[in-house]
Amino acid sequence: MTSQQIDSESIRLPQAWQGKAWLLLAVGLALVLASGFVFMVSGLEVRKIFWHSYLANFMYCMTFGIAAMFFVLISFLTRAGWNASIRRWAEIISMTIPWMGLLFIPILGLVITGQGLSLYEWNTTPQALVENHQPVVAEKVIYLNGTAFAIRAVICLVAWSAIVSYYYSLSRREDETGDVNLAIKRQLYSGPLVMFFALSVSMASFDWIMSLDGDWYSTAFGVYIFSGSMFGFFGLMIASLMTLQSHGKLNKYVNVEHFHDLSKFQFGFTMFWSYIAFSQMMLIWYANIPEETAWFKNRLVNGWEYLSYASIPIHFVIPFLGMMSHHVRRHRWGAFFFACWALVAHWLDITFMVMPNAGPVSAPLVIGHVLCGFGMFSIFCAMILQRAADVPLVALKDPRLPEGLSYANPIL
Amino acid sequence: MSAHKPQPVAPAKPKCFGWLAEFDNEHDLMTAARKVRDSGYTKTDAYTPFAVHGIDEALGIKPTILPFIVLSFAFCGLFLAIGFQCWSNGYDYKYIISGKPFLSIPAFIPVTFETTVLFSTVSTFFAMWLLNRLPTYSNPLFANPKFDRVTQDRFFLHVDSRDKYYNRESVRELLSSTNPLSLEEVIEDSTPDKLPTVVWMGVATLIVGSLVPLTIVANMRAGKSELPRWHVFFDMDFQPKKKAQSISTLFTDNRSNRPQVEGTIARGQLVEQDPYYLGFDPSKQSSIEIPSAVKLVSAQDDPKADPKVESPKAPKLEGPVEDTKPAAESTEKPEAPSKEPVKVDKEKPAGKKKDTSKKAKAEPKGDDVKTADKPVEVKADGKKTVAEEKNPTATEEKKADAKKADAKKADAKKEEPAKDAPASSTKPADKAAPPTAVAPAAAGPNLPWLTDFPAEVSEEMLALGKAKFEITCSVCHGYAGAGDGLVHRRAEQLQQGYWLPPTSLHEQRIQDQAVGNLFYTISNGKGKMASYAAVLTPKERWAIVMYVRALQRSRNAKIEDVPVDQRAKLEEVKKAD
Repeated sequence: MTSQQIDSESIRLPQAWQGKAWLLLAVGLALVLASGFVFMVSGLEVRKIFWHSYLANFMYCMTFGIAAMFFVLISFLTRAGWNASIRRWAEIISMTIPWMGLLFIPILGLVITGQGLSLYEWNTTPQALVENHQPVVAEKVIYLNGTAFAIRAVICLVAWSAIVSYYYSLSRREDETGDVNLAIKRQLYSGPLVMFFALSVSMASFDWIMSLDGDWYSTAFGVYIFSGSMFGFFGLMIASLMTLQSHGKLNKYVNVEHFHDLSKFQFGFTMFWSYIAFSQMMLIWYANIPEETAWFKNRLVNGWEYLSYASIPIHFVIPFLGMMSHHVRRHRWGAFFFACWALVAHWLDITFMVMPNAGPVSAPLVIGHVLCGFGMFSIFCAMILQRAADVPLVALKDPRLPEGLSYANPIL
Repeated sequence: MSAHKPQPVAPAKPKCFGWLAEFDNEHDLMTAARKVRDSGYTKTDAYTPFAVHGIDEALGIKPTILPFIVLSFAFCGLFLAIGFQCWSNGYDYKYIISGKPFLSIPAFIPVTFETTVLFSTVSTFFAMWLLNRLPTYSNPLFANPKFDRVTQDRFFLHVDSRDKYYNRESVRELLSSTNPLSLEEVIEDSTPDKLPTVVWMGVATLIVGSLVPLTIVANMRAGKSELPRWHVFFDMDFQPKKKAQSISTLFTDNRSNRPQVEGTIARGQLVEQDPYYLGFDPSKQSSIEIPSAVKLVSAQDDPKADPKVESPKAPKLEGPVEDTKPAAESTEKPEAPSKEPVKVDKEKPAGKKKDTSKKAKAEPKGDDVKTADKPVEVKADGKKTVAEEKNPTATEEKKADAKKADAKKADAKKEEPAKDAPASSTKPADKAAPPTAVAPAAAGPNLPWLTDFPAEVSEEMLALGKAKFEITCSVCHGYAGAGDGLVHRRAEQLQQGYWLPPTSLHEQRIQDQAVGNLFYTISNGKGKMASYAAVLTPKERWAIVMYVRALQRSRNAKIEDVPVDQRAKLEEVKKAD
């Protein structure tokens, strides 16, 4: 097809973005360090706040990769054709997982050496826990201890890296051979891998975020993280693809139908997140058991109550009512606006989960946390740019590409 | 087409409903639909064996208003549900549910969510009916036999004659320019549209027939009849069974229901008979209750004593001014109501009562009087000590009252049994007045309590007792049983005047109680304390009694009770103090 050769330039990263990865990485690292500096100058409990902020922003970026991995897996599981032209971009986002795993090493190091008490309250000896009036946490040290935590984290990170690398490498091989069997193979493994995904994401959510409060537990927490991640991920997809298009790329491969579909998913996950978040809250509120309600209590004091209550309109009411009409979802700026909205809402959601454990709201905490957020997101973007530098942004030989390009939403 | 042509000539001209074009694939249909749409016709429709993407756009169908209908109904459901719950639980019928506030929005959300979904789906369903003009029983298109293939492999495009731009010839030309397989005019369905007589007659008969049983029932309910009632289900009205209290010829004693076999316990009644579940031994109950029975019977069997007691006291009740001792008035008054039933009973012949208590009566009467007398004196003393703390002048009056009672006893011995009842009846009245000073004599029922543990006394039981005590009892009685639990402390903090403090388990009267009595209190509650039988199994209740005994002992322990190797430790503590 001659048209493809003509378009080969339009499926590459914009020239201006090439080689900017290292710059972004440097800026990101500087911002993360700057956030630490802000915490230090402010005279707050610097270690505690810095590591909480670091973890929150790490999770914010990590969840994009995790959600992208799920998006790729579920596409193959359902043999979806509509997203054939945008799946490569999701694969590139999912390929941040192996590199994001490196950013988890500082936290792992803290926990293994037993220095992580400023982050995880269980990361100390059972004796100290009992003396600190935390007998419940002391009973959990069989599961929540440095070694077991590290083993589970390494299993998750290695397995996810292996999954995304495998899917990415088959996708790349398909670019050259166009072999249909490569797609069939990925379909075959997608079922069991989705099951593994569900369990491992739950496990990681429990370990990395839920165990910040050693007492507290919620079996819905994994789903809670997952629903918020998907909401943020679809926002990231829409925002990044639209940005690429505004640089004159992908215009023939990504059209309003794709944005409409992504936006529909984003809309659906608004509702799903609200359903899960509310179910979790209401059951705990209704049962009124002290060790469960404490988690929400912490989020309703010390200035965090503003974030807690604001998350109802930010994460639910406004996107839900705003994105309800297909006129908004098919409108370029409408969809872009709510995509960016989702990126902020997801960041606030992760902040809501992690930061109240670090201490009361204060100006230096907010400034440092935002700086750290921008820094971590810059590093994350650098990873995407580095990965996408010399890769076609559309899998041109994907067997389902024609289907993906021709599909049109019935607008009734 | 030619077959239809003669028909317009006929006098009854069949009505036409436009043109129907047939295609053999969806692409031709789409092309034709676009052409018709572009010509300005709006009353058009396409019929296909499967959903064809883009056909709406090709036909020029306007976006449906369905979403707006659904959205408005969803909001109706939302506000109706949340509003109704707020109104009903917040204002109209306030009811505490799970200790939540009356207006607790989180609890209302699930119902609100479900109602919103319900309104959305139901409105979608019926709006779809409305918008699709359902139910439509017949369509003129069905008259065309070619149209049958619409569910298999043919695609049809219909331009309705009711379109405002419709012109028979121009539509025919337009459609033939799209090269259809066939193009035919849709004519009115010529088959008769009346219901067959059999059908409507049958339905009418069924409707009328269904009124017959209703009429019979209505007639029977309204009228009277001398005839015996109808037994529709005979074997349900007359079952082969013996009812209780009826006569049977099967057994020699002619009783249809059998008495319980000696020495057995019926299924499910162990709980009512085994001391382990009661805290007392029901088989010994009869022996312990005799004195009170004797007391009651002897009070009723004294016709002579009665008028003597009544006559001096009657005016006191009516006119306090005439009374020589107005100070005693307050204590005398409560006696009156309890006297009344005694008097009424006396009017009855006492012979029947004598039968039942013959044994008691056989004993010398003087002894009876004495034993029955004792509690009266004790109570009088107890009353005195209680009242003294509160009001010294009242104590004086009561002393006088007690003296008066003594004097009366000396005057007429026969009067005394009758006095027992009133004297005991004053006690609860006194008790109720000062809530802080609970009469220590409030011992509850007098039952043959178990004095030994029916369960094995072991470390394990004690540990269970401790655990259960701390879960269930300590909130009021406190961890050490001193009556200073968190609930009590909170009530004190709130300064609730009506709060009755929980009993300290170290009070002498509690220490004196038998273990069975403690068990009984846990099982049945006492005063403000509720029954804990539903919360604690009998074993757990006995374990708690054990633990309470251990707590009581710990307060009164001597150095000899402490293990030898631990004594030195205590000595150290003592020295430190």
